[in-house]
Amino acid sequence: MKKAELTGTQRTIKLLQLLLIIIPFTLPLWVQNEYYVHSMLGRIFIYTILVVSLDLVVGYIGDISIGHAGLFAVGAYTMGILNSTAAVNAGSTMQLFLEWPFMPALIVSVIVTGFFGFLLGFPSLRTSGPYLAVTTIAYGLIIYTFINEQEGLTNGTKGIQMAPLNFFGVNFNDNKFIWVVYPFLLLVMYLKTNLSKSFWGRAFEAIKFSNIAAESSGISKVRFKLTAFVMSACIAGLAGALFTHLDSYIAPNTFSLDFSILALMALIFGGVRSTFGNIIGMALVVILPDLFTWFKDYRLMVFGLLLLLTLFFLPNGLAGLLRKWFPKVFEEPKPIFTASDKSKIEFQMEKCVDGHIPLALDQVEMRFGGLVAVNKLDLKVQPGTIHGLMGPNGSGKSTTVNVITGLYNQTTGDVSAFGKSIGKLKPYERAQLGIARTFQNLQLFGDLTVLENVQVGLHKHYKSSFFAILLGLPSVKKEETGKQIEAYRLLEFVGLEHLANEQAKNLAYGQSRRLEIARAMALSPKLILLDEPAAGLTTSEIKEFNEIILKIKSAGIAVLLIEHHMDMMMEISDEITVLDFGKKIAEGIPSVVQKNPEVVKAYLGAEGALDA
Amino acid sequence: MTEVLQLIISGAIQGMIYALIAFGYNLTFSTSKTINFSLGQIVMLGGVVGYILYIDMQTGHLKGLPFVVPLLGVLVIGTLAGALVHKTAVEPSLKFKSEYTWILATLAVGIIIKNGVEQLWSTGDYKMISPLGDEVIRIGGIGVYAQEILIVVVSLGIVCGVEMFKRRTIYGKAIQAVSEDKATASLMGIPEKFVITVSFMMSACIAAIAGLLVAPLTFVSASMGMVLGIKAYSVSIIGGLESGYGPLVGGLILGISETLTARYISTGYKEMPGFIILIVVILFKPNGLFGKKIIKKV
Repeated sequence: MKKAELTGTQRTIKLLQLLLIIIPFTLPLWVQNEYYVHSMLGRIFIYTILVVSLDLVVGYIGDISIGHAGLFAVGAYTMGILNSTAAVNAGSTMQLFLEWPFMPALIVSVIVTGFFGFLLGFPSLRTSGPYLAVTTIAYGLIIYTFINEQEGLTNGTKGIQMAPLNFFGVNFNDNKFIWVVYPFLLLVMYLKTNLSKSFWGRAFEAIKFSNIAAESSGISKVRFKLTAFVMSACIAGLAGALFTHLDSYIAPNTFSLDFSILALMALIFGGVRSTFGNIIGMALVVILPDLFTWFKDYRLMVFGLLLLLTLFFLPNGLAGLLRKWFPKVFEEPKPIFTASDKSKIEFQMEKCVDGHIPLALDQVEMRFGGLVAVNKLDLKVQPGTIHGLMGPNGSGKSTTVNVITGLYNQTTGDVSAFGKSIGKLKPYERAQLGIARTFQNLQLFGDLTVLENVQVGLHKHYKSSFFAILLGLPSVKKEETGKQIEAYRLLEFVGLEHLANEQAKNLAYGQSRRLEIARAMALSPKLILLDEPAAGLTTSEIKEFNEIILKIKSAGIAVLLIEHHMDMMMEISDEITVLDFGKKIAEGIPSVVQKNPEVVKAYLGAEGALDA
Repeated sequence: MTEVLQLIISGAIQGMIYALIAFGYNLTFSTSKTINFSLGQIVMLGGVVGYILYIDMQTGHLKGLPFVVPLLGVLVIGTLAGALVHKTAVEPSLKFKSEYTWILATLAVGIIIKNGVEQLWSTGDYKMISPLGDEVIRIGGIGVYAQEILIVVVSLGIVCGVEMFKRRTIYGKAIQAVSEDKATASLMGIPEKFVITVSFMMSACIAAIAGLLVAPLTFVSASMGMVLGIKAYSVSIIGGLESGYGPLVGGLILGISETLTARYISTGYKEMPGFIILIVVILFKPNGLFGKKIIKKV
């Protein structure tokens, strides 16, 4: 693989970016005005950290949270209780002052808030959209009520006064506060960027786009969603903890629902999934009311209108607009592949050599209320064969696939794969065991590139640890490059390598179907389920498809082919099972099954069968 | 014992208001699978418009107009607000794939309405006079205001009336058809866009009426809508967004839990049980107590 060379302009841009990053560090040295630096810029930086936190949930996971002010409050109040002193809070109802130093208090605040994020993560596993939105509101309001009412702990509505921030005898409550806050902002942005570019970022994207496709690629929704919420909360807690020293005072009013909404607005104005967008969005929200005094009273109305306009006309926010105007500045380098990346040897695939039956269904029954979709089905897929599963519409084929992949749990009976019972495993666990699938109605990750889609399929082969990824260690980059090449070879296998850097949503129909196969193959499966792969394809495309399927078979992978298409089925299957109304009506080699009167009847109807 | 009974009755009445607004949320969800997050602010609009038409702001006395005037005013403002939210926030959002577009868009309209009322009308709190007077009616030791009885009658009347309409009449069947399957309904000649617009108008009208009803019990102000809106939404979720009579049960649960907590624990915590019940319901019955289970298809 070739490294993308930087052009002259790109180098200049890099230099300018670096300069831009450094400037805030110098401000305390030459600016006296505390209002603009300490108060305004400090506020923007702290609030931006909160926006970054919100972006993790909204931008990456795709869940909406209107309760982040609550998490911000947890951070702030933990800091307040740990770090504040009895001396500055004379006469308050607060009883507990721990008077910890700044850093330990900060770390504990982050951890405590992380725990609150963990709790908030659970509802997100069960629900999404408007249901989750109100849960987050409720969560925020519970925290809000609590800090208002627990006077012994939080001093209630009167708030907590913070002691001056001193390090080594120097006071940091003036413009030097920037030196405290800014490094944290940079750190948070750095961590988030690293995470979003790694397989974690792709896993988030996959979950956002389609839970089911993500699980089928071996991604645990539970693990990744909860981690995203915990991370998001940790970052929000950091912002809250830093916030305590901005005005050296915290009171419950700051952490109301309005603040959650304001942070969301900032995120949308700036544009989700953009570090740069996070900061300009928040800058806008903080600076606009300050620039125009008349604006103060109408602030929310203007923000409301701006929000509507942004949502409908700039769905990617200001950052999206800038990306459109200056594509060179924001362009991400795309991997460039050379001839040496092509597989010199024949593509290596994991073979199912252990002699176990790849898939066996034992008396599987699936009921939806009174409807029996699959009725006491026995099915065995022999190693290294293509097993066809056919039947008219509504005969239970897709339900069978969903039972095998774990989307549905069978009502009775059991499913086993590779000699083990898998009937109780979660979809992603079955995928990790080596059962891959494609989808009848395509489930590609449209916003990711073709190459990245395959990389999502490679998910289970990534070994880098979470912390290595956050820190952006060289080993992580090396692994990423290796996996890109692997993914590229898989694209070659289905003949899509020339489209590697194209967005998946721009693919033609037949190409999308191939990409689904490449993504499934990326799992190194021992069994692959193809759910109507030929639906909507032309005759010549079907021919090419047959070749791909036969190649998969020759690699030793067992195939369960679900298909409507008689000709295709007869041509490549080794054995066929025919379903009708959820029941197996025939099984055997194609030529025999084809003549089975039951099958003819199911397909042509009773009268058609007489004519035939 | 009388005290507990009194608390339960008061809570149930409060719950009827939540149920009525919640029913408004359910209406738009059943046709368009979207929620109007500005409904709380439309409740406020109902209260404010009713107040302006009924009471002289300077003196705080009745203007002398019959109660029909504010009632009609509220219905007009509700219809307009519903149409406005649908046209400016929901319809343009549906072009986008992500769910948060319409959530945020309707939220934005709510923010604009609230700030607009604050700036164009007032930021103060005003006392609304009930058309039925403020005498307490006593039944066996339990006291209720005439207004409260009105709330119960109107809420139950609207919820049951609309549900009957949906189940019994051909127009109601059209609404149900749209909620089941937009495309098929459209093919059967049902003007699905129109049905959705009407559902938004109806929902907003119901919310505005709720505002008018609740006004004499609370104060009328620009900020009266937010908390009501959120609680009613919780009720919607607890009862099930897809359920017809679910909001009534949800409303009772929330309302009664509030009065009991306020009395026996602390007024500051009175909203907590409702929110906790909401989270518990989401965790264990994500589609609400009376919601249908959805089978995901692949």
